[in-house]
Amino acid sequence: MAEIKQEYDGLVLGAGIAGMQAALDLAGQGFDVLLVERAPSIGGVMVGLNKVFPTLDCSSCICTPRMAEVAHHERITLLTYTELKHLERTARGFSVTLVKKPRYVVEEDCIGCAKCELACNVVVPHEFDYGLGAHAAVYIPHGNAIPQVAVLDPQYCMFDGACARACPTDCIDFTQQPEEINVQAGAVILATGLKLVPLDVKKEYGGGKYVNVMNPLAMERLQSPNGPYGHVMRPSDGKIPRSIAYVQCAGSRDKSIGVPYCSRICCMYALKQGIMIRQHLPETEVTIYHMDIRAFGKGYEQFYRRAVGEGIRVVKAKVARITEEPNKDLKLRVELIDEGGRVAEIRHDLVVLSQGVIPGWKPDGAAPVRIDEDGFFLIPEMAARPANSSHEGVFVAGVATGPKDIPDAIVEAGAAAMEAAMYLGRSQARAGGVQ
Amino acid sequence: MSVRVDPSVQAELTHYGGDTAVKCFNCGNCTAACALTDQDAVFPRRYIRYIQLGLREKMLGSLDPWLCYYCGDCSDTCPREAQPGKLMMAGRRWLISMYDWTGISRLMYRSPRWEASFIAIVALAVLALFTLPSDFGYGLLAAHPEARESVNLAYFAPKDVVHRWDNVLGLVLGALLLSNAGRMVYRVSRQGPPVPLSCYLSELGVMIVQGLTQIRWRGCATGARKHWLRHFFLVTSYVSMFALVMIFLHWFQVEDTGFHWTAYIGYYATAVLLVTTGWIIIDRLRKREQIHKESDLTDWAFVGLLFLTGLSGILLHIARLLDMPMTTYALYTAHLMIDVPLLVLQVPFGKWSHILYRPLALYLLAARRRAESRRPAGVIEGSPLPVRS
Repeated sequence: MAEIKQEYDGLVLGAGIAGMQAALDLAGQGFDVLLVERAPSIGGVMVGLNKVFPTLDCSSCICTPRMAEVAHHERITLLTYTELKHLERTARGFSVTLVKKPRYVVEEDCIGCAKCELACNVVVPHEFDYGLGAHAAVYIPHGNAIPQVAVLDPQYCMFDGACARACPTDCIDFTQQPEEINVQAGAVILATGLKLVPLDVKKEYGGGKYVNVMNPLAMERLQSPNGPYGHVMRPSDGKIPRSIAYVQCAGSRDKSIGVPYCSRICCMYALKQGIMIRQHLPETEVTIYHMDIRAFGKGYEQFYRRAVGEGIRVVKAKVARITEEPNKDLKLRVELIDEGGRVAEIRHDLVVLSQGVIPGWKPDGAAPVRIDEDGFFLIPEMAARPANSSHEGVFVAGVATGPKDIPDAIVEAGAAAMEAAMYLGRSQARAGGVQ
Repeated sequence: MSVRVDPSVQAELTHYGGDTAVKCFNCGNCTAACALTDQDAVFPRRYIRYIQLGLREKMLGSLDPWLCYYCGDCSDTCPREAQPGKLMMAGRRWLISMYDWTGISRLMYRSPRWEASFIAIVALAVLALFTLPSDFGYGLLAAHPEARESVNLAYFAPKDVVHRWDNVLGLVLGALLLSNAGRMVYRVSRQGPPVPLSCYLSELGVMIVQGLTQIRWRGCATGARKHWLRHFFLVTSYVSMFALVMIFLHWFQVEDTGFHWTAYIGYYATAVLLVTTGWIIIDRLRKREQIHKESDLTDWAFVGLLFLTGLSGILLHIARLLDMPMTTYALYTAHLMIDVPLLVLQVPFGKWSHILYRPLALYLLAARRRAESRRPAGVIEGSPLPVRS
């Protein structure tokens, strides 16, 4: 862990793709930035993805260089496994209180050899792989994690000391406590990202109950070369699925669960995952059940046409109910609107719920910004200043302001960094301390 | 096929409690969520589409609203909160009004004031029958002062007179309901290919079974057991009461303080009537289930008058047994002032007309399906969706 200074020009909260980009763009203009991440590794959602649409570029190949860059940037200080406790405006900027959670591993001493993980006797569902794989109670979050430092989960640890005995640098420390860190920051960028609605938010879909009803991000892991199985297999029995269904709007555009807005990315990632599945498993049928396909961005409509051309079946039907067969296959009940309104029950090996996107973090008084009625950060001047929050000096980027795809999040991160830079320039000029 | 869009239909439906059709974006969740939809019985979305486009002819000839028992699964899961179940309810009300050629139904459903007025008019007519000078009711009683001392309904409402008028009223109401149902059959038969008479004959059993048991309701996914059972007992209650009054009044209406064993049937009917309608009233006040969330005056009038009919009937019985003559006569008048408006307005013009429309709709559907099964394969008789070219 780098030395924490008392004062920073910018604080960036969240080190997903938007937060990293904002930190890089601000640091690139000569400002000192403190980048704070809640998880043990930076990278956010993007580092877990397989490919990005519509170019089918490798997601890690875009994300990991940025991760390395922020980790090595001389003007960026990285604080992982750290949460914001309080953020308050002062005469000089913002007074920030952070809480660094105990890793039970001395970060500076860990060399990322993973000997502790091999020595550990506990098996824990792998969070990064959405429970499809497993890791030990002390583990390096994933292969691309930055920092490559182990973290110990006391919830599962048996405290038998196996890891401590195996550690060559003696960096396991069971006595660590949460550590409060106070800094000053001139400007703040919130890039706190997204969560998906809970898998079981729509009970009629059986998410969380039926093992072959999957989270789309888990499907990304299945498709990733560094994923849990290295292949697309269904969780219940390891069968190569021959028929995969995507249930669109499984928790967005749905007033009955309080998410009335469109999550924007689901149509595109369903098409993308479909294309990738059929590239690897050409005999596997992919059916996307949708209310309408929203291919809104540059090249997206063409991507949609390409997917259809590659044999993805796109069916206009809102799935009303999923039931599980004894062999763990799944039956989807739909009205086939384009076939005269026929009601049908269609069997699939595996179902992916295109779960809606909701905010990853709520300030709950920790930061003085207002949230919109959809739960994302309020942008008072959406048309004119889309990166400005309701509070002066606090800027916002990425999905924290509303569902968006990776290019939009990166663009917005740049805008937030630019706004923050201008704000810092103005306040430093006002203080007479132009450097 | 060309379609004339009529936006006024949506506005019209709002008068019948269906104001949410505009919210629907036709995703089809409701149709697939429904446990009762299959084959050509695909609702509610199709009917909501008719409402949105204003396809009056299609709506008038549609059986869809009658195939729904309002379990509320569609409304619970509708992503647009368009309340498809409520729209089916409004569809039934609208169809009742459209099939009724007298226009009374239309007035009642569209205006609570009219509904209340009609109930009041019929109730006052009954009151007049008892109180105006004549050889019936209080007019007859005046000539027989001994009946003021001890109960004797022979000097207030002689059962042969009552029985005669019962039957006349029954025939008139039945004829009105049948004539309305005839309009329904005509409208439905105009949609789709013709159904041969033999198909109608061979499916008559559906009409009888569904009319007696409403067994299709058991197919609903939510609350079917409770609602069906409650409804079934309510039906047995009023059917037995109907038989007592229309056929066995000679024994059932004891004119002095005596007791006849038919009273036991009456006790059963009354107990079930009070419990089921009371329970329904509580459920409608609590609004926990979708089926109970939307109650307009027509619903309250139906269930409320049913409850009061049972209550006034049993009080009348007790007063007679206790030999309280003037109370008995007053309760007799009150009982009919509640019961007659209920029957006159609800059976042909109101909610009670579903007694015929529901089984009839299932019967017509069964006949149509039989006709389709006989049709040679490969012949496609038009698209079920009118909007597709």
